[in-house]
Amino acid sequence: MTAILLSSAIFIASLVLIFTEKVNRVIVGLGGATLMMIAGRIFNFYTEEQAIGAIDWNTLGLLTGMMVLVSLLEPTGVFQFLAVWAGRVSRGRPFLLLVLLGSVTTVLSMVLDNVTTVVLIAPITILICEVLGISATPYLLSEALLSNTGGVATLVGDPPNVLVASAAHFSFTTFLTHALPVVILAWMAALFLLRFLFRAELSQTPPAREAILGLDPYEALDDPRSARRGLVVLAGAILLFFFESQLEVSTAFIAMGAAAAGLAWIRPPVAETLKRIEWSVLVFFAALFIMVGGLEHAGVFNLLIQALLGIQKFPPVLLGVLLIWVVAILSAVVDNVPITIALIPVILGLGEAGMQINALWWALVFGAGFGGNATIIGSSANIVVATLSERTRAPITGPLWLKRGLPVMLLTCTVASIFFALAYPLFNR
Amino acid sequence: MKISACMKRKVISIPAHATLREAAARLVAHHIGMLPVVDEAMHPVGVVALKDLLNLSMPDFVRLVEHLDFVHEFGAVESFIPDAATLARPVKDYMRPVTTVKEECGLLRAFAIMLKHDLHDLPVVDEQGRLTGIASRVDIGTAILATWSHG
Repeated sequence: MTAILLSSAIFIASLVLIFTEKVNRVIVGLGGATLMMIAGRIFNFYTEEQAIGAIDWNTLGLLTGMMVLVSLLEPTGVFQFLAVWAGRVSRGRPFLLLVLLGSVTTVLSMVLDNVTTVVLIAPITILICEVLGISATPYLLSEALLSNTGGVATLVGDPPNVLVASAAHFSFTTFLTHALPVVILAWMAALFLLRFLFRAELSQTPPAREAILGLDPYEALDDPRSARRGLVVLAGAILLFFFESQLEVSTAFIAMGAAAAGLAWIRPPVAETLKRIEWSVLVFFAALFIMVGGLEHAGVFNLLIQALLGIQKFPPVLLGVLLIWVVAILSAVVDNVPITIALIPVILGLGEAGMQINALWWALVFGAGFGGNATIIGSSANIVVATLSERTRAPITGPLWLKRGLPVMLLTCTVASIFFALAYPLFNR
Repeated sequence: MKISACMKRKVISIPAHATLREAAARLVAHHIGMLPVVDEAMHPVGVVALKDLLNLSMPDFVRLVEHLDFVHEFGAVESFIPDAATLARPVKDYMRPVTTVKEECGLLRAFAIMLKHDLHDLPVVDEQGRLTGIASRVDIGTAILATWSHG
């Protein structure tokens, strides 16, 4: 009982500290993991070997590999190229510009890290809008909202997806076939809602429409050779993801292999390239895994599952829809990674207790992904966009985000709930 | 040689309570790049530089994108003028710290200070710290080069 109370206290205290954002989450994570291991040692519920075993190396390997690929592409200017190209093709027509910039950001963030994508696309968006003489706010907001929404579609699109897929043993193809249809519907719905929400801004003709033709995408592409090689390697990795199960390799293996191939082919300055990897994210993940492992070995989840077994009386469809909304609301106000990591063992435990849990995984994925749209702090991409806009003359404020983002979150979650309920048997396979 | 030998003694300066609009007008009228900001006793308290004022009309993206050679036209922001409220702000809100030298400062030292602080004009003060002159890079640099012909 001491083990259960102590480990729960450490975990809850860490979560509270993470959510209040008083202390950097990496420091909290490492501190919590250390305390958990000390407690485990003293009260004999958690050994060092068990802690190492609790780390999901497949998740970390996949994230690291993809981060290296992004880092290889970042200095080539390929992201700027795509944004400038989208601007030119739109010829300064507001809604078309929004659709194109939103699509570019979405497609990129489906295969790459959301934050990096937004960090590179948003400044060019501000540039395009200023040159045209229009406010960048609708475009910046839409990019973040659409890329959050699109990121739900693939296994590598968002950290919660990686976590769930790894725990539930979903392959890249399984993930795509289950999530993509929902995401396409939700994305289209979000796009038309954005068109409505920004109807005033989007109906104005930009004062300097011709000036967009003065932007040359090819000049924005600094290193076409490395960009081409980086994209070939990325495409190769995605292709291999589809054959993950036939080849009997893990997604982490493919991603790390692609990273190695990319480094070997492009030959960038290695130290500089590796510096761009988001080590803080990786360390935070590892620390959370160790903490959750401690809870598991202390027997917290067994207790929780016994308490939760009563929910089996609920109709499973209702339970899934409920999970979507609970996770979405939580993800809107706090980081969705700790939520996902904390819920995974609970769902696994329910499965061991004999419950049908396949559909619950998808509910978790949809909730964690779509929920982040609601608030300015809901996802890392939102924070990045808002921070960048603070350096302009028209900063995006929290209330403004809520006014535009919350409707998008509600709509996408509704779409996901309806689709989930209608196609429940498919999700439960 | 001392900096007092090559500096301009008629210094154009501006009081701290003057507005940005007045500062801009004074830079234009005298075709200069920097104004020392002075208090009532003519002690320099800061400087307003041409580039700081121009920053007010620079588009936001200039700060955000790494390079902008691919932008061939600034379009709507080409003729951007800061709003009246900004131009009515006092210069003390926008001035940067001043670096001065004494009148007996050597030329090479003065030039080195300008290089290190990335300055184009260097205000000169007397023993009591009052502004008595100003020297540009060209003033100091040509005074140094002039000594070479004697060598």
